[in-house]
Amino acid sequence: MNDSTRRRYLAGLGTAVTAGLAGCNNLLGGDSDEGNPSQQVEVPALTQLRGSGSIVEGRPQPEGTSINDLPNLSGELSLYLGGGEGGIYREFVEILEQAYPEFTVLPTTNTSSTLAQQIVEEVNSGASRADVFWSIDASSLAYVTQNDAVESLPEEVTSPVPDSFTGPDNAWVGIAGRARAIPYNTNELSEDDIPNKVADFPNTPALQGTMGWAPTYGAFKSFITAMRLLRGEDATRQWLVDMREAGTERYGNEYVVSQQVADGALNAGFANHYYALRVQNQRPDAPIDLAFTEGDAGALVNVAGATRIQGTDNADLADLFIRHLLTAEAQEFFATRSFAYPMIDGVQPVGDLPLVSELNPPEIDLSELSDLETTLDLMEEAGVSG
Amino acid sequence: MSVPDWPAPITDRLDGSGDLGGRAVTAIAVLLAFLLVVPLAWLFVQTATLGDQIPALLTSATTLAVLGRSVALVAAVTAASVLVGVSLAVLTVQSNLPFKRFWTVAAALPLAVPSYLGAFAFISAFGPRGAFVDLLAPLGIEEIPSVFGFWGAAFVLTIYTYPYVFLTTRASLLSLDASLVEAARTLNAGRFEAFRRVTLPQIAPGIAAGALLVALYALADFGTPAFMRVQVFTQFIYSRFDAFQQGYAALLSLQLLAVTAVVLFLESKIGADDDGAYESRGNRGKFGFDLGVFRYPAMLLPAGIGLLAVGLPIGIFTAWLFRPGTGLASDGMAFEWAFATNSVQVAVLAAVASLVVALPIGLRGANADSRLSRLAERAPYVGYATPGIVLALALLWFTLDIAPVVYRNYGIPLLVFAYVVRFSSQAVGSIRTSVLQVDSRLHEAARTLGRSRLQTFRAVTLPLIVPGVATGAALVFLTTMKELPATLMLRPLGFETLVTHIWSVRETGAYGQAAIPALVLVVISALSMGVILHQEQRT
Repeated sequence: MNDSTRRRYLAGLGTAVTAGLAGCNNLLGGDSDEGNPSQQVEVPALTQLRGSGSIVEGRPQPEGTSINDLPNLSGELSLYLGGGEGGIYREFVEILEQAYPEFTVLPTTNTSSTLAQQIVEEVNSGASRADVFWSIDASSLAYVTQNDAVESLPEEVTSPVPDSFTGPDNAWVGIAGRARAIPYNTNELSEDDIPNKVADFPNTPALQGTMGWAPTYGAFKSFITAMRLLRGEDATRQWLVDMREAGTERYGNEYVVSQQVADGALNAGFANHYYALRVQNQRPDAPIDLAFTEGDAGALVNVAGATRIQGTDNADLADLFIRHLLTAEAQEFFATRSFAYPMIDGVQPVGDLPLVSELNPPEIDLSELSDLETTLDLMEEAGVSG
Repeated sequence: MSVPDWPAPITDRLDGSGDLGGRAVTAIAVLLAFLLVVPLAWLFVQTATLGDQIPALLTSATTLAVLGRSVALVAAVTAASVLVGVSLAVLTVQSNLPFKRFWTVAAALPLAVPSYLGAFAFISAFGPRGAFVDLLAPLGIEEIPSVFGFWGAAFVLTIYTYPYVFLTTRASLLSLDASLVEAARTLNAGRFEAFRRVTLPQIAPGIAAGALLVALYALADFGTPAFMRVQVFTQFIYSRFDAFQQGYAALLSLQLLAVTAVVLFLESKIGADDDGAYESRGNRGKFGFDLGVFRYPAMLLPAGIGLLAVGLPIGIFTAWLFRPGTGLASDGMAFEWAFATNSVQVAVLAAVASLVVALPIGLRGANADSRLSRLAERAPYVGYATPGIVLALALLWFTLDIAPVVYRNYGIPLLVFAYVVRFSSQAVGSIRTSVLQVDSRLHEAARTLGRSRLQTFRAVTLPLIVPGVATGAALVFLTTMKELPATLMLRPLGFETLVTHIWSVRETGAYGQAAIPALVLVVISALSMGVILHQEQRT
C-alpha cells in the first residue's frame, strides 16, 4: 500500500503519527527503540476510560484480560469502521494510538452494510485495502463471512466471548451487544403494562396510538427480519399493518423516539436499549425506563463485532488489535460510554440493566439477519417503508 | 452554463471548424467525454446479474411509485425555481429595487448552503418539537403542518436550487438588447406585453439552462429527500444497496439515468426554437421599469427567501453550538481543521482537473456544429445528473474490475476523477457561454492583422473568456465541497472531509458537533460564491 497517497485522519496527533510512521517504515531511522515491543506503554487509568454521568457511578472494578497483559501494538492497521457509534469507537482507537507510539490506524467509515459490500468486491478483485472490519451489526459480518471475504480468528481472540456472539468457525467476534427494548414513560405506564411479547402490542389498549418507531434504522430492520424468521412473513406483515393502524408515529432515529418517550410525547417506543440510557444519563430525572420482551424478536440481541479481512498481510496485528477490543479496559469503555452490553464476563452492563444472561433473546442465528431483501419488500407492502 | 444554443451558435468564430486543428480539438473533446461516461457502463454489467428478474422489478408497483414521485418532485421544484429565480432576476436587473447589489448577493447565496444541511436545519426548526414550534407554543399553537413529505422536500429543494435559474436569467437579462424592448414600447405594447413578446423569448434559453441545472440537481440529490422522508430514486437506490441488493440498485440507477436523458432531451427542444434571436452586440442602453409604491415591499421577496435559506441554517447551526450534549458519556468526533483542508484540497484539484476537461469541450462546443462535438458537449451532463451514490458504485465496480491497482493505491486521483465526472459540465457550460459572447469581429480583426490562430486565442479570446473560466472553476469547487455520497465511498483510508465528518456525527444526534463543520463549510462555499458574483459583474 502506498503510504504517501494517504492522508492521516489523526492530523491532530502529529507526534504520535510521525513516531508511528518512523517506527514502521524506517523512514527516519536512528531510533534505538525501533522494533523493540517491550517498551513500557502507558495505558490510561480506568477513571479516564470510564464515562461520566449518574448511571456509571459506583461501578465495580472490571475484570478480564488487561491491556497491560497483551503485547504492544505496533505498525499500521487499515480499519473499515461501520457507523462508528458516534465516535465512541474512534475515540477508543485514538486512545490506543496514544498509548502505543508505534501504532497507527487508518480508518474509513461508512454504513456497515456499504463497507461489507465494498470489502467483498475488493477481496474478489484482489484489491483489498482493509486489515480489520469493525461492524456495528451482525448482518454485515454475516455478509462478508458468507462471501468468503474474511479469515477465521484464532481461538485466543474469540475465547473470552460466548459462542452465541461469535461467527461460524470464529469468522468474527462480538465486541459490544445491543438489545432491542421498549423504552416507556414511567409517569404513564408501569412495567406490567408492557406485554412480554411484541405480538400482543397492537391489541394492548395502553399502547394504542402512543408509540413511536424508526423504520429506516438498521436495527429496526434487523428486528423485523428476526420477526419474519420466527413467525413467518404473513404474521410479520400483519403486525406492521396493525401497529401502523394503531397510530404508531414514525421518527428518523431511535434516540429521538427515546427522547419523545422521556418528554411524555409518546408513552412507549421501539428502540435499542442504549438510547434510553443516553437520555437518562443526560437527564437523570427523566421518567423513562426500559422493558424487555421475552423469547421473541422484540428481545433480539445484536452485536457489533470485528473480523480479519481475507488476504491481509497484517494478520498478527489485526488479531492483536481485536484482542485489545476485548480487554477489561476496552469493554468498560464501551459499557460506560455508549452503554453497550459488554461481551466478556468480568465487565457489568451499566445502571440497572439486566445481564445479557438474564435477557431472553430469541433462538436465532444472527448470521441470518443479512437477508434484508424480503424484509424490505414486506415492510413496503405493509406501508412502513424502511 | 448552458447546453442549448444560447446565444445562438455563430459558427466559425474561431476559424475553420473543418480544418485539422479543429478536428483535433473535437477528438480530444470526444475522448474526454467518453472517459467521463464509460464507468457508468458498469451499471449494465451489474444489472445483468439480475437475469430474468429485470422485467418484474422494472414494473413493480414500488418501482413505478418511486418513478412517479421522482418525476413529480423534479417538475414541482423546477417550476417553482423558475418562478422565484426569474422574478428575482427581473427585480434585480431591470427594476428600481433599492439596494439591488445587496439583494443580488443575497439571492445567489443559498447556493453556498448544501441543501441537505438546509433540510436538516428546517427539520430542527419546524419539525416535531422544533425550535419554532416551541416558540409558538405559548401562543396556543400546538402544531404546525408537518414539514416532512413531498411538499416539504419540494420547498427545501426550491429555495436552494433556484439560484441556478436566477444566475443564468440574470446573465441573459444583462446582455439583453434593450433597444428591442424600447421599440416594442414605442409601438404601444404594454409593459407586460413587451416583457412577454420581446424580453421573454430572448431570455428563455437562459431560463432553460438554469432550469436544466435545477431539474438535474433535484433528480440527483440524495440528502434532502432522505431527510424530508420522501422516497425518490436516490433514496431508494441507497436503501436497496444498504440491503445488499446491488443488482436492483444498479437497475434503479439505470432507470434514473433514463429519466435524466428525457430531461436533457426536453431541455434541448426548448433551446432549439430560438435560433438567430440573440445576435446581440451587447446591452444597448438601459431599460428599466419603475416599481412605484411597491419599491420597498418588493424587497420582501429576496429578504424572505434569503432569511429562510441562509439565515435560518446559520442561526440553527449556531444554536447547536450551545446545545446540551448527546447523552453519550463521551466527547468523540471533535472537529479538526484537517477536515477543512482536506475538503479544500480535493475541491481545488477537482476544479483544476475540470477546467482541463472543460476547456477543449467548451471551446469546441461553442464553435462547431457537428453532431460529434454536440455529443461531447452533452456527455458531461450525464455525469452531472448521476447521483453521487450511483457514480460511486459504478466507479467502484469499474476500477475493481479493470484496474484494482488504481483503486488500491490512487484514492485521491480516483476521487477527483469522480468529481470531474460529476461536476465538469458546469465548467463546460460557463466556458461555452463566455466563448459565445466573444465578438467574432475582434477575432477577425486580429487575424486580418496577421496573428496566428494560437496568438489570436491568447491575445483576444482567452482574456475575454477568463470570467467564464473562473465561474466554471468556482462552480466545480463549490459543488465538490458539498458532495457527500461519492466522497464517502471513494475517499482513501483515513481521509476525512467536512461533509464526511458531518455525516458521521449526524447519526448520533450529536448536532452540536455538526455545527462547526457546517458553518465552516458554508463560509468556504460563500467565498467561492463571491468569485462567481464578482465575475458576473465584469460582464
